[in-house]
Formats: sequence, C-alpha cells, structure tokens
Amino acid sequence: MSGPLLRAEGAAIGYGAAPVLSDVTFALEPGERIGVLGPNGGGKTTLFRALLGELPVLRGRVEVAVRCGTVPQTERSRLDFPVSALDVALMGAIAGRPWWRRPGRAERAAARDALARVGLGALADRSFGELSGGQRQRVLVARALVQDARVLLLDEPFTGLDAASERRLEALLDELAAEGRGVLVATHDVEQARRWDRVLCLNRRQVAFGSPAATLTRDVLTATYGGAIVTLPGEAGAGAALAILPAHHCDHEP
Amino acid sequence: MLEALDLPFMQRALAEVLLLAVAAGALGTWIVLRGLAFYAHGVAAAAFPGLVLADGLGFPALLGALGVALLFALGVGRLAARGRDGHDALTALALVAALAAGVVLASDVFASGVAVESLLFGSLLAVGPGEVRLAALVALLAVAAGWLLGPRWLAVGFDAGAARALGVRAGAADLALLALVALAAVAAVSAVGALLASALLVVPAATTRLLTDRVRPWQLATGALAAVEGVAGLWLAFELDAPPGATIAVLAGGVFALAALARASGRLRPLGGAA
Repeated sequence: MSGPLLRAEGAAIGYGAAPVLSDVTFALEPGERIGVLGPNGGGKTTLFRALLGELPVLRGRVEVAVRCGTVPQTERSRLDFPVSALDVALMGAIAGRPWWRRPGRAERAAARDALARVGLGALADRSFGELSGGQRQRVLVARALVQDARVLLLDEPFTGLDAASERRLEALLDELAAEGRGVLVATHDVEQARRWDRVLCLNRRQVAFGSPAATLTRDVLTATYGGAIVTLPGEAGAGAALAILPAHHCDHEP
Repeated sequence: MLEALDLPFMQRALAEVLLLAVAAGALGTWIVLRGLAFYAHGVAAAAFPGLVLADGLGFPALLGALGVALLFALGVGRLAARGRDGHDALTALALVAALAAGVVLASDVFASGVAVESLLFGSLLAVGPGEVRLAALVALLAVAAGWLLGPRWLAVGFDAGAARALGVRAGAADLALLALVALAAVAAVSAVGALLASALLVVPAATTRLLTDRVRPWQLATGALAAVEGVAGLWLAFELDAPPGATIAVLAGGVFALAALARASGRLRPLGGAA
C-alpha cells in the first residue's frame, strides 16, 4: 500500500459542539514512529479516541486507511478481570470475524505466537492482572499483532515502567516500525520522543508537527506545556536539556 | 427426599431449578462480570406488572412478562449503547415504577391480591410444564449464545475502546446479552419470584467469582453451585414447609457470606491461576 496509514487535515475533535482538540494536521507513514507530546488534558487521548472512531470529528477530516490496534492505559477494573495473557491476546482475533465464528485453534496458535514475539511466551497462561506493568503493555501489543493492526496507538505506555521494561518496550516498537507498521505513542518524555521519527505537539490544538530536531524547540515546548518547563542546570546553548515538570495527576480528560 | 421425588410437582420443581442453574452458569457470570446485577434485578421486577396484566386480562403470563421485560431491556440497552455509564438511576426508577404499577394493578384494577405474593416471591412447587419448557429454552439459548458471543462480551468488558477497533459492534453484542438476561429473569420469576430472581441469576456467580479467575471454570462452578443451592433449598423448603424461593435465596446469601468471609480472612484463594 502506498500513501499514509492515517491522515488528519484541519481536524477538530470533541464530545459536544465545542472541540476539545482542534487544528490537527498530520500524517503517519508506514514505518514511522510519532511521539505525541502534550500536557494532561492536552488532547492526546482525545486524538486516539477519534482515530479509533469513538469520538466524532467536528470539522476537517480524519482518514484512517488501515486497522488500528490500541494499547490503552491499564485501568484498575482490568486488573481483576478473569483473563489470562493468552485470553487478552486472543481478543485480537475477533477483528474482522463474523459473530457466529468464534476464534478457534488457529487463532489460539496465532495468539501464542504473538505473545512469544513480544517475549511473553512463557507467561501466556498467567493472569493479566498478575503481570508487571511492562508485561501488560506487551500483552496489549500482542493483541494488536493478532489483530494484524498496521497502526499501533499507545497511550503513555511508559508511565510507571522501570528502565529495563521501558527499553524492552521501546525496542519492540522500533521492531514493529521496521516492519512497516505505524506507531503513535503518547508520552511525557521529551528526550525519548527525540529518538523517534516525528513529534506531534498538542495543547488543546496542534502546536507543531515535524522532525524532533526541527520541532522540539524551547518555544514549541513552552507553547505545548505552558509554564511547566525548565532548563536543566549546567546545560546551555544548543542541545540544552529541557525537562517537563512532573504532571499533576488529573489525567481524566473532559 | 427420595419419596418426595415421586410427586410430579417436585419433579417439575427439580427440573426447573436444575435448568435455571445451567442458565445461571452460562449467564450469571456475564451478569456479574459486566456489572449487570442491578439490571437483572430490575428486569425481573419489570416482569411483575406484565404478569399481573396477563392474569387480569387473560392472556398468557409468559407473553405479559416477556413483553414488559424486553421493553425494559431495550430501554436500558439504548442508554448503554449511547455510552452512558449511569443507567443505574434509571434502572432504579423503572424498578420502583414496575413494582408500584404491578401492586396497583393487582389490588385495585383486577383485585387479584392472592397471586401477588407468589409473583413476587415465586411458587417453585407450582410450576407447570410450560414454565419448565421456558427454563429449558433459556438454558439452551444461554449456553449457545455464550459459546458464540462470549469472546465478544469478554472483549467489550475488558476494553470497550479497543473492542470497537476490533470491529466488535458492542451495541449489538451487548443488546443480545441484555435480552438474554431479560429472558432468563422471566424464567427465574416463575421459580423464585420477581424480587428473588437474583438469588439464582446473580448470587451464585458472585460467590464463585471469589474462587475462580478464569471465565470457563467460573461458569462451571456457578452452574454447579446454583444447582446445589437450588436442590438443597427445594428439599429444605419441602421438609420445613417453607417457601422454596425464599429458602433458596437465604441459602445462596448464606453461602456467599461464608465465601466472602473466608476470602477476606485469606483462607480462600482463586483456583487455577498461578500463585
């Protein structure tokens, strides 16, 4: 397939008449990793929900050419859901099946393969809620693989992970991008986003979109995060390390 | 107990309870997992005015109960499909309205006061062959629908946002679940009454939830527990000359309380899952 996997043009997204997020114009090409930056309530989750078709596009256009898989933040209710890692991965097999055909042997094998692919082959029968945060994220990636998603939407997947889990997940995302999938990652970590192909900065509207080097300037970050930005001491001039002050925990967007 | 089984009404009551236990195993787990316990209670209560109307106007009771219960299911289903979490308040309103309408209809319009108690609290020892057939149909439908749609109900409950991306039409799958629960509630009303239907449909599943951490074992355990509680309640009621619906409800509630206590004290752990 040629052309972008998904594309937004002047899109305004919202719940009622007033948009929560506006002026969104970007495209995700095959093999690209885009970091989505912005404060809590800035519109990252809103954008994802619109891409999944859960929220209406009020103005402009959002075109999703391929199947999207989602790796949401883990809610408490999911932790005591009576499912194994394999059950969760197998949920991806529902995609595109008519309701009277339940997933069978071949789909179970595919789900086991996907879990092995994300490094969880040995934990397939473990309860989802018993896994560590990083393992749960990888189970959800496996679900997207079973679904054969060409685009992965990850909502702050690195939040709460230790350094080793974070590296492991990041390497997995690199791998998936290398095989031509598009990866959209909401994150708070500006330094991490610098390693990716493009960044999309949101603060109730699109502040900037482009390559990290050209886009992540102090001005753009200030516009994205408001005042919650500091320059780390001892670093000056070009390449100065900018840090975002820890976000307050009020992550429920309206 | 065994002599009692020579009595045709005891045989029918036993068959009814065992068939409803199958429905409880197949559906009760989804009711608990998807947070539909209050809805199940409401839809059973909604069947009550339908039964009074049917009795008063002389049309088949099943038609009356099913009509009102399905209306209730559709109403709640539409609200749920619009993505509103808080349909509890409306369920409560509809429940109260249904009970009030049923009582007024029974006492003032049709003056059929005698039947009200058996409609509200069941008359397991008086179930007819038609009611047993309905319970068999419900058990069959619950098992078949659970087999086919279970993966979808699970995916939607686990993660509704992702389910949409998976191409699950959550509205349609969930409406089927709500309609099935309504049907099961109507079947349970004839056995344990409009106010005690939860004793069979919800309480056993809530009890075995404490012991299991996978859907399939949970369903099997629920069916088995509901069967044991139903049969034991029936026997106790027969021996003690107590109302069977209420006896089953008390028994189910007691077992749940014991299981919850044991779980809280750390003596009970879910079976099956890795420690």
